[in-house]
Formats: sequence, C-alpha cells, structure tokens
Amino acid sequence: MTKENKKGTIHPLSLLADQAYKTFSDLGFEIATGPELESDWYNFYVLNFPKDHPALDMQDTFWIKNNKEKVLRTHTTTVTARAIEQAGKDGRLPAAFISIGKVFRNEATDITHEMQFFQIDGAMVGENITLADLKGVLTNFYKKMLGEDVEVEFRPSFFPFTEPSLEVFAKFKGKWLEMMGSGMLHPNVLHNCGLDPTKVQGFAFGGGLDRIAMIKWDIPDVRLFYQGDLRLNQFENEN
Amino acid sequence: MKISYNWLRWYIPEVSKADKLTDVITYHIAEVETVEHRVLNTEEDWIFDIKILPNRAHDLLSHQGMARELASLLNIKFIDPTPKYKIPKSYPTKLVKRIETPKCRRYMGRIVRNIKIGPSPKWVVQHLESIGQRSINNIVDATNIVMFDCGQPAHVFDLSKVKDLKLQVRDAKHGEKMTLLGGGEKVLKKGMMVIADDYDHVLDIAGVKGGRHAELTEDTKDIILECANFDPVSIRKTAQALNIVTDAKKRFENDLSPELASYGMQELSALIYEMCPEAEFEDVVDVYPKKQEERKLSFSTEKISKILGLKVSVSEVKDILKRYHLEFTEDKGIFEIKVPAMRQDLAIEEDMAEEIGRILGYDKVKSTIPKIDFKPKVNETHVKISSARSKLLDKGYSEVMTYTFSDSGEVEVEMSASDKKFLRTNLTDGLKDSLKLNQINSPLLGMKEVKIFEIGTIFTNKGEEMRVAYNEGSKIIEKTI
Repeated sequence: MTKENKKGTIHPLSLLADQAYKTFSDLGFEIATGPELESDWYNFYVLNFPKDHPALDMQDTFWIKNNKEKVLRTHTTTVTARAIEQAGKDGRLPAAFISIGKVFRNEATDITHEMQFFQIDGAMVGENITLADLKGVLTNFYKKMLGEDVEVEFRPSFFPFTEPSLEVFAKFKGKWLEMMGSGMLHPNVLHNCGLDPTKVQGFAFGGGLDRIAMIKWDIPDVRLFYQGDLRLNQFENEN
Repeated sequence: MKISYNWLRWYIPEVSKADKLTDVITYHIAEVETVEHRVLNTEEDWIFDIKILPNRAHDLLSHQGMARELASLLNIKFIDPTPKYKIPKSYPTKLVKRIETPKCRRYMGRIVRNIKIGPSPKWVVQHLESIGQRSINNIVDATNIVMFDCGQPAHVFDLSKVKDLKLQVRDAKHGEKMTLLGGGEKVLKKGMMVIADDYDHVLDIAGVKGGRHAELTEDTKDIILECANFDPVSIRKTAQALNIVTDAKKRFENDLSPELASYGMQELSALIYEMCPEAEFEDVVDVYPKKQEERKLSFSTEKISKILGLKVSVSEVKDILKRYHLEFTEDKGIFEIKVPAMRQDLAIEEDMAEEIGRILGYDKVKSTIPKIDFKPKVNETHVKISSARSKLLDKGYSEVMTYTFSDSGEVEVEMSASDKKFLRTNLTDGLKDSLKLNQINSPLLGMKEVKIFEIGTIFTNKGEEMRVAYNEGSKIIEKTI
C-alpha cells in the first residue's frame, strides 16, 4: 500500500495558508474571517478610498447586479477592517489579526493574473505599534515562508489606507520580487473603524498567497491552482 | 513616466551616475521599472521608466519636479531655469476669456502673433525623442516640452479660428460634437467641460484633448497659448466616458496646483520666443477666481519618531526641511511648515512621517518584534474549516479548488472580463468536472480510486455559505460547514 492510499494530499494554497497562519499565530495574531460578498463600505470607503478612486472602476471590481452596494471583495483588508472595528467595540486592544481568503478582480487572465486568488492580510493595532514592528513582523514572515536566507526590503509606496506606505520586496534565488503592500494604518481608517487615531496606531499589510506559492515551488501559472487538478498537490511542508 | 538622465542634468548637473541614481529613486522615491541605455550620435543617455506614486503625480510627472526632488534628496544644487525665461515687451491684448463652470480653477491665455510654424531646434527634438515622443512642429513641440519639463499641460489654438477673440470654458451641452485632433468625432454629454468660442464651436475637450477646428496649420501666423487648471475628478470621468487617454489627462486627474499654470505659461512663452524670435507677445489673460489657499501643517518629532519606531532628532528634521526649501518654525520639537503649492500631498502629520521616513531611508528603521501579550480568540469558522479538511485528508481524500464563477446561478456580476457571469450555487458541479479530470489522470497519479474534496463558498439569493463537498464513487456529497 502506498502512502497516498492512506492519507489524501492537501492543496498547495491550503498548505501554505496553514504555515502562514502558524507564523502569525506564534506572534499572537488572531485568525479572522469575513464574507466574500462584501459591502462597498468595507471594501473601499472604510479604507479611505475616495469615491472617485480608479480602483472602483468596473474593470477591476466585480459589482453585483441589482445590488449597487455589493462587490466581490477585491482584498481581505475588508476582514482586517471588520476585525479591528469589532476589537475596538469589545475593548480588546491591543490586538493583531491575520486573515487568508479568496479575493476577486475583474481582469483578463494570464499566467500571473486570475479572476480569483488568495490574499493574506493582517494588522496590528495598539498604543505603540510602529513601522519598526511592521518591518520585524513581515521580515519574520517571509523568512519563515521562503527560508532564513531570504532578504527582505521595504520601499516607498502609496495606498489610500496607509500612511506611510511601503512595498515589501524579498530577494529569493538572487532576484528581488515584489511581495506585498504595507504601511501604518491611515488615521482616517482608524477613525472609520471607530477608533481614536490620537490614542492608537498600527500597521497593516496585504498581498497574494498564490504569488508566494508560485515563487516557492516554481509554479509557472496562477491559473493552475483552480483547475481541480490533483497533479498540483505534490508539495509538502518542510517544517 | 519616462525621465531622461541628460534632461535631468540640465537642472542638477551634480547628480550621481545613472546606476547609483536608480537605487536612490528606488529606495527614496518610487519604483524604477526599467532603465534604458541610449547612445545618440556620441552622446549617452539613460531613460528611467519610473512608476510615480499617485500622491506625488501632481509634481513628479515632470523633469523639473524630479530634478527638484533629487536635488533636495541628495543635497545638491538645483539650477532654476526661470531667470532665463524671457520674452521681449508684451502688448495690450483684446483676448477675452471667461470661466462659466466651477470645474475650471484657472484659465490663462496669451495671444502671440507673427510666429512661423516649422521644425524644432535640435535640442527639442532630442529631448522629446529621448522619452519616446515624436516631434511634430516647433509650436506643438513647445507645449509638449513644457508638459514633460514642468508638468503643466499646455495647448495652442489657431487665432484665426477663434471669432472675436473670445474664449470660454463651459459645461458641454448634451449631444454636442467635436472632431478630435488626429480625427474621430466624439459626442459629448452633460457634466463634461469644453473650451469654445461664443459661436458654439467646440475647440477643446477641457484638459483631455484638443479639437480639429482650431488646429494649427503650416500657414498659421497668430496663436493663442493656453495653460489652465481643471477639477481632477471631472477630467477623469470625462476621459473615461470618452475613452481617451492623453498625457494631459493623466496630469490633470492628479490634481495639479493652479499655481503651476503661470509657471507653464512663462516657460511656454520663452520657448516660443526662442523658436520664433520675430514673434510679438500680448499680455497674459489670467482668470483665477479662487486662489489656491495657503496651508500650514504642524507636526512633532515625537509623533514622527513614534510612528516610525525610529528616534528622529530636531536637527535631522530641520536639515530635511531646509533641503526641501520648506519654510518652518520650530519650538521644542513642534514644527509648523508652510505647505508649498506643489506639495498638496502633505496634509496630515502622518504624511510628514512618510516624508521623513523615505528621505532618511526605511532601512534606517531597525526591525523589532513587538512583545505584547495579545489575547487572541479562537475563530470558529476557521476551526470548522480546518477540522473538516483534516478529517477528509485522514480518510484519504485529496483537496482541490475550482472556480467561483459559473455559467448559471442566482447572484450575477455586473460586467465580467469572462463569459461566466454567475457565482456558483454549489460545489458539486465543479467537483464533478474535477473528478472526471482526475480519473483520466489516475494511472499517472498512482491512484486506484479518485477521492477528492473542496471547501469553499457558494452564493444564493439568501447569501453566501461555506460548504464542503466530496465524492463517494461517482456520487457527490455536499454539506454546509
């Protein structure tokens, strides 16, 4: 009897998600979940997107027919926003949240673009959470995911929901790769979540899980993840 | 935005070598997508393609903007070109400009007579070609140089086509038509903005694209120069509705400072004088109903240090503010700056944290892992999903993922890049297809029997629901988690 006949094989994205959850849980992050069909408030406006932001355009976002206020979430920052809002209401700050979930973008597909993919998103909010903490937590994350010898860098960027905003790069197999967006939560976002930006601050981050899997295991095409094809389930967690 | 190294050097001759400059831009300003090394005759140049960030698009989509930023960042000399922008005597004008819409924030015009349309000087052609632009004629090239140099879009009309020397910026009438420069007719709608004469000739879709009616010809002798400023949201919506992308539109939609218009007019006039020394300039007509307000911004080194997790000193901040020519006062670590017209991105204390962080370099911030005793709660949904997955894996089932989009369903998306416009109402259909595929491959997978499952969300009129589905032989079992 071969091993396969005893235990089934896990999808590579689930395998990677488990590893990511563990990395963040070890630092005290709480796992958060939320709806895939989301209100435009949580998807955009709570996050300080202006009403006329290009990301709201039809080509990026799946808006729902006959329901003007609903979208398929374009990022799991929605979950992060809901979680910190609830934590504030429950008086549970400082707090840190991590969520991994399916997100949707209305764009033509190719080897690096897919209409659905997984995003890993999180935030840490408290009185004294700094950019130095952001750097430490995310450097730790990529080292755990891609190996201790990975170098991680932070470069200037822009997102409506963070200020300052930074792009996270990792050097893997000799190449610098763009991994995720991050930054210190914009005071408008904290305010929209019912928190007082003069009392609390924090960082947030978000990026593709599929991308980490593709880099880590040399998977050439993002669309392979969603074909229902078991030939993809050939990876094991080295930890 | 394509930036030529040689063009930058006009303003910052002491700038670092091209390869070093790539790193400076990457770590302190924005991502450099490509650097192209070019040799024209014997002259070397490097063309940086820089992904200017949206919050700096109002000042960095230009060579002077980049040169000013780099001069401050590297603490090197910036050669201000304005003292060289000279024109001879200017004459009284009869040009009338009217703003009939609040979406136009400033409208500057100037009549120039006795110009001669012809080829551009060599340096103009070189500058334009270096950044992938084509030289058209001296006057059109002058407007393009101004836009890529200082960031202010400019436009020129043939004066003989403008009746009574009267121009107005107004809302478009519903159904009004205009033929674009380069051809193609556009039908305009309410909410769009045009530049027209008083006889219903539309000359220009404001801030987006010029029209054919007042296009320059080889015989054009007298022209009207235009440097204006428009509401960014209006420009973006108009361009989107008409499906027009121009370099002017890209700049206007990023909220240019109305103060830039006068600077653009000065540069454009000087360039035209250089190209046509016989030209006669009339006075500038400047309609500027509401001057851009002067803003102040206050921040403390304490707050900046607390955001960055890096101790920032008063003297470090002073040094940065001086290099960036920001007027300031300081008292016990509390700064107040006068926000320059071109730096409207500096609005709150956090913006200064970003400014100081990126100028110092984010590598200066030392990574830390916070030691906080968080009290994480267990997430029930996650526990249910994990335990369903573990159980099935233990029973020999393998996990697959299929598409959320489907040919039919109860929840439909508005528009889609694909033909599948519905969200799945079950996992069973996707799993059936997956089962067939894997059964064909089962000898390859070394499996006697294919056992698969999927965990995912389904969508019905009642809302969304997390489900698990697996097969028993060819039968699919689907349950709510």
